[in-house]
This record gives sequence, structure tokens and C-alpha cells, in this order.
Amino acid sequence: MQKVIGESKKSFMTGNEAAAWACLAAGADIMFGYPITPQNEIMHYWTRMAPKYGKGFLQTEDELSAGFTVCGGVQSGKKAFTATAGPGNVLMQEPFGMAEAMRLPLLAIIQQRGGPSSGTVVYSQQEVALTTYGGNGEGHRIVYSTSTHQEIFDYIIKGFNSAWKYRFPVFILGDGYQAKMREPLEMYDPESRGIEMVKSYPLIGLGGKIGQDRGPSHLCNIYSLEEELYEVITKVQAEYEAIMPQITEYEEKQCDDADIILLTHGVVSRAADDAMKALRAQGIKAGYFRPITLRPFPQKELRAAIAKSGAKKMLIAESAIGQFDRLVKQEIYGETIKIENLFMPGVGIIESDLIDKVKSVL
Amino acid sequence: MEPFYTLRPIKNQLEKLNLNVIGYSREDSFGLGETGAMMNPRARWALRNEGDIILDIGYGVFGAQTLNLIEDIDQTPELKVIAVVNASRPMTNSLDRILEYVKGLGRVDAIVANTHMGDETTPEIITAGNTIIVEAARILQLPVIYAAIVEELKDQYVNNFDFPVKYIKRYMPSAMW
Repeated sequence: MQKVIGESKKSFMTGNEAAAWACLAAGADIMFGYPITPQNEIMHYWTRMAPKYGKGFLQTEDELSAGFTVCGGVQSGKKAFTATAGPGNVLMQEPFGMAEAMRLPLLAIIQQRGGPSSGTVVYSQQEVALTTYGGNGEGHRIVYSTSTHQEIFDYIIKGFNSAWKYRFPVFILGDGYQAKMREPLEMYDPESRGIEMVKSYPLIGLGGKIGQDRGPSHLCNIYSLEEELYEVITKVQAEYEAIMPQITEYEEKQCDDADIILLTHGVVSRAADDAMKALRAQGIKAGYFRPITLRPFPQKELRAAIAKSGAKKMLIAESAIGQFDRLVKQEIYGETIKIENLFMPGVGIIESDLIDKVKSVL
Repeated sequence: MEPFYTLRPIKNQLEKLNLNVIGYSREDSFGLGETGAMMNPRARWALRNEGDIILDIGYGVFGAQTLNLIEDIDQTPELKVIAVVNASRPMTNSLDRILEYVKGLGRVDAIVANTHMGDETTPEIITAGNTIIVEAARILQLPVIYAAIVEELKDQYVNNFDFPVKYIKRYMPSAMW
């Protein structure tokens, strides 16, 4: 693979630029996409860089086509990806569902914008439900919720590997603030860090005779019988559950003696981290827990953090009205810790918002 | 930044410094829906204003093409096109990339050396980056008119280049972006 980054180097850039560079560094072959703010610059930067590295790009007529062409791209053996937001994410749920059904290793970068519908072009965390459990399936997908540009870069590289290793569609869940703001990050070629990129391979058009040289490559998204579907979905669910421990990631700080745990995800976790430190400095024992994977969710780890802390309260904060909160509650059903909420749909949450809320509930 | 909307949160703050900011404020945009993310019509006619006019363009890959939106852009003898180059940006982090980037902008009259790494800027990062920018400027036969450096580094930075330093205050960190 051609070296893209060369010597590891710190750079100052937007999250969208970081995403485009990460896809290059990960060895992605082609992007299929349709413009929508706030992810546009991923396409812009990819189209600027792709010709220099022999990569491809196709702007389709809409997001449905972009999603389906990604499905086709990975079946031909190419590392294909797309990026979208808001209503585009809604339209892509149909092809994303196909990717779940046919176990297609696509990667999609979601830069959340305000909703419902066109909402705002700016920011929100309102695409959690859609990205984790969108479509008419069972949520057989991997969702990384990033909070820094470094994580956008790191998890896109990891995401391509997860997709091709486990054969589930992978989502990098960012947002408009992460997309547009600039901050430093270290870019690197994965091999220089000892990261071996999983090689892509064709899923169809294989050589040899079926039954003699190889087994059938049966990629199916429709079944004749109810029992047939039941059998397949049950098998996929078992496979998903088996790999959950290898995929699940989280971040935990100061939960050992916490009286209250701040539970956030994505960019809001940056404010939660600062708030936790500020509260500690004021003598309030705050802890911090952040799922990095929203699918699969680190439910055992969160239950353990609650148990060891003995915390009486947990504050779930998000830039949406309870999408993350509902996800957490279904994962930790039965826990008796009192849950407080700070819901600010479509606007940013800063350190002082969290500090004020904590002080109002303790 | 992308002034159609990213500058909104600090527009009032800048105006308190006696700057006339051509762009929508949050209040102006409220209720406008998709049109709230459009270019303010006053920006098209910005060059008809009196006094010193700064056009902050170049965000994203379209770069200087944005100038096409401005009336009289090719009929204003006072106009100077200054490329602000940060050698920590991936598109301009080597001599070859700076040369390619500046040539791609079309008309450029001068360069500002703006190497920085946000909150993680150090004098060493500035000096290393600006050294590459100076070499690029020499090849391009363009003057480097000054270096922009955050005021927090005023006591630490030693300027060994033959152009002056303008110490700057960063406002965008308070704008959420």
C-alpha cells in the first residue's frame, strides 16, 4: 500500500479533513457520496486527494444511491465508504439495512446535524437512535462515537478493520462541531504503529466451481419463509454477541468513589471531563463514564462502574431529548441508581451547564 | 472560518471592538431556515464600503474561488490578496505542498506566516513551520509581510526572521467551533 502520511506528524485541521485523511491512511479505495452539511468537506478533501493516490469517488444522484453503491463497492472487494448527516442518514438506512442483512463491511461517517427533517446544518446528537438501531433490522452494526479529532482518525482506521474482520457495517458517529472545528491531532500510517490493516477481498464474482473448488458466496437480503429468516437472524445475533467483548470500548475516570457519575458520549464528553475535574476541585465527588461504542454498548462495564462507586445518582447529558438516555436505560435495566437528565436538543453542552445541573440535583 | 454561520457567535463581540462585521448575527438568522446559511447580500458589495476592508476567505477546498462572489473584485486597484499559511495544516505542511497550495490560489500578492497548533502551539513549532514558509515565499518570489503569533507566546518567542510579528488574540475558541 502506498504510504500516505509518511513520518508520523502532528497537524492542525478540521474533523472533516481528519476523516478524509484517515480514510486514505486506512487504505480506502473509493468513496460514494451525496453532499450534505456538515459532512461536505469529507467529500471535498477526498476528491482533492483521491487522484493523487489512485483512489476513486462517485457522487450519486441521492443518498439512497450512495448507500447502495457503497454496498456494491464492498462486494467487489473494494474498501468503500460514505459520509452523510441528518436526512441523508435517514435515506441511507435502507442500504445500511441491506449491509446488515448481507454482512457487508461498509464504513459510514455520520456528522450529526439538527433534526427532525432538515433541522439545522449545524450540530446535534439527535442521530443516536437512527445510527444505532435505524432501519427494519436488529441493530447488527458497530457504532463508534468519537469526541476528538484524534479519535476520528483512530476510529476510522479501526473501523475499516472491524468492518472487514467481523463483516458488520461500521459507523463513525461525529457531529457538526467535530466536523467543523479545528484542533491538533497526530496523523500516522497504521503500519508505523503496528496496526495491520485487514485486506479487503471480493464477496462475489469469485473464481472456481461452487461445490468443487469453493462453497457458495450466498449474500442474501430476502427469504421465502419465515423460519428461514428466523434461523439466519438468530445466527447473526449469536455471532454479534460473541464478538461484542472484542469490540466494546469505553472510557471511565474517577468512578471509584463518585457520588454522582456524569454519563455522556461524543463531543459532550469533553465538557463532562472538564466538569468532573472542576467539581472535584470544589470538593464534589464526580465520576465520568463514556461509552465509545454505542453498539455494542459497554453495559457490563457501566454496571460495574455504578456498583463500585456506590454513587446515588447518574447524570445523563446529551444534545437531544433522551435518545442516548433511552439507549442507556435499556442496557442497564434493573439498576436502581437515580438518573437525572440534562437534555439540550440541537445545541452544545459546555462545562458550566453540567456543573450547574450537578449542583442543582445533589 | 466559514463565515456564513460559524462566525455568528462572536459577531457582536467583534463589533464591540469597532469592527463592522458583514455577516448575519444569531438574531438576524433566527427564523430564516435554510436561507439563514446563505451569504449576506452586503458581502457581495463589500468593496463598495469606505475604509479598510478585510475579506476572510479560503475556508474549505474551494479556497480563493470565493472571491468570484464579490462585485468589482478585478477592478479594485487597492486589493491585495494575502495567503495566510499555517505549516501545521496537512495541505501546507511541506515545501512542495505550500508551493502547490499557493499556486492553486491564483493571484497572490503576499504571504502571512501563520504556523500554529491551536492551544498546543510552541515557539519551536512556529519557527520550524515558518522556516519552510520563508523558503516557499522565496521560490514564489512573494514577500512574507508578517508572522501571526498568539499573544500568550509573546515572552517566549524569539523572532529571528526578517519580517515583523503581529501578536494576535484568538476569538474562535469561544464560538464552539
